[in-house]
Amino acid sequence: MNKVMTMQEAVSRFVKTGDILFISGMQHGEPAAAIHEIVRQKIDHLTLVSVLVATANLLIGEGLVDRVLTGYISQDERSYAVAKARAAGRLPVYEEYSHFGISLLLTAGQMGIPFIPTRSEVGSDMPKYNKNITSVKCPFTGEPVGAIRAVNPDVGIIHVQRCDAEGNAQKWGTMGVDVEGINASKKIFVTTEKVVDADVIRRDPNRTVIPGFRVSAVVEQPFGAHPMHLAGCYSGDMWGYYFDTGPKENYEPYVKDLVYGVKDWDEHLEKKAEIKPPGYFENFKIKPVESEPIVSGY
Amino acid sequence: MSQNNEDEKFTAADQMVVAGSHQIRPDDVIYVGLGLPFLSALLAKYTHAPDSTIIIENGIVRTTGFEMPRATDTPGAQFMSDQLTGLFYISSLGQSGHINTGFIGAGQIDRYGNVNDTCVGDYSKPVHRWSGSGGANDVTSFCQRSIAMLRQTKRRFPEKVDFITCPGYLDGIEGQREKAGMPPGTGPAMVITDLACYTFENGEMVVKSVHISVGATLEKVKEEIGWDIKVAADLQDTTPPTDEEIRILREEVDPKRIWVGGKRKPLGED
Repeated sequence: MNKVMTMQEAVSRFVKTGDILFISGMQHGEPAAAIHEIVRQKIDHLTLVSVLVATANLLIGEGLVDRVLTGYISQDERSYAVAKARAAGRLPVYEEYSHFGISLLLTAGQMGIPFIPTRSEVGSDMPKYNKNITSVKCPFTGEPVGAIRAVNPDVGIIHVQRCDAEGNAQKWGTMGVDVEGINASKKIFVTTEKVVDADVIRRDPNRTVIPGFRVSAVVEQPFGAHPMHLAGCYSGDMWGYYFDTGPKENYEPYVKDLVYGVKDWDEHLEKKAEIKPPGYFENFKIKPVESEPIVSGY
Repeated sequence: MSQNNEDEKFTAADQMVVAGSHQIRPDDVIYVGLGLPFLSALLAKYTHAPDSTIIIENGIVRTTGFEMPRATDTPGAQFMSDQLTGLFYISSLGQSGHINTGFIGAGQIDRYGNVNDTCVGDYSKPVHRWSGSGGANDVTSFCQRSIAMLRQTKRRFPEKVDFITCPGYLDGIEGQREKAGMPPGTGPAMVITDLACYTFENGEMVVKSVHISVGATLEKVKEEIGWDIKVAADLQDTTPPTDEEIRILREEVDPKRIWVGGKRKPLGED
């Protein structure tokens, strides 16, 4: 089945008020275009599960998030979004884990088990304030071990380099918590730099991170991870983004002009190119390097 | 004392980086975080530990040098790695004992090496908030030797932290880490500040060496610490950087001067 649709359609059909939302891309290839569309559609009362996703600050700043499952809270100069949410009485509740803890709660979700044992977080004060981290006795040795409760996000979004029309999606480079996060999610939509022929996927199938039968929507969106980098495609401007949305005097024009003031991501990119110095996007071109091709056949 | 004076031959931050580098053994597998630890790891790789393995939590395993990253994950840090994977895989390597040394930054650290990266005051009504664990709790829970690097002030060295983000030796009682569920044979090995290096004896932090090279004194060290700290019987002067180490640091590790003194350039100055 061909699942290719527009970003507007994918977001309005598959992201609902009150959802637990997994966002992929730990400082690498996050679905920034999809996040901007969620803000544009003002889908609210979300619970976020993500690790170091830069543009997720917009969801918090625009008051769309009730709760965040996280290992790291931006409280420095990047955090006007947090200050704005606080002033509006929309500061999310933070449920704090270590980074491995986030990976583990998603892994347990992916595995379909209620919790997962761990040797992280134990001995810290995190379990005192997070009811979803505790300790249990190993049923075999009786020794103490940490336990983290599983989470299955209602919807997961991943941005990838290539995907076919059915949703067989391939990402490479660092994977952060992408594999466990997207596989733990109940509904999945994929945004991709390029929709490719299914045979491109099938000639290198080890690279597929989620199979088509699990995917509900495919959105082709070049530069869909900007301002982050995406392996083999483009470099990024994360610190520039923090500057663009860090202080109040930058954040407010950003959301006015580049989120609400545009109809979609292509228009966002065009407008950003006009605002930025000439050659801004050309700077993100990479010098591609190829390995030997993966060989299959029989 | 020299801080970040460009005219100085080397600064206190350079002394920290070099002291960190000296902690890396030739065949170590090292977990590194952003800032000073990255500088130490790369300096060691370009000097005495070319075969060390550098591991970054986003999913990077590499044995070759790379461009000093501005964030934990950058195209340059990914490029030509030995392995690219994810956080689950990396942390599992750590949890099963295959990453022997870990470097972290720290908000506060206490007498028993417990690190607070979360809050000062009551958790529900904090006086000050930091970002939280990130991967630091995982590093300190799993590594045989964890090394914390931070600037030293009395406020950052309380006798007991308000919130344990990364467990050290907890109350200093032997076996407490294991009892909580952490792997045996793990824990803080060293703390490196802009004044001194500290090790642990019976779970308690002791002054091991003072950065005489940048004008620090034992008196100053004791002033900037929140309890009456013990001093190691074999107290030494911290080994100062060699000219060659400073040259490699400036010319090869961070030629673009992204992390001068371990602090990133201000936003908007790229």
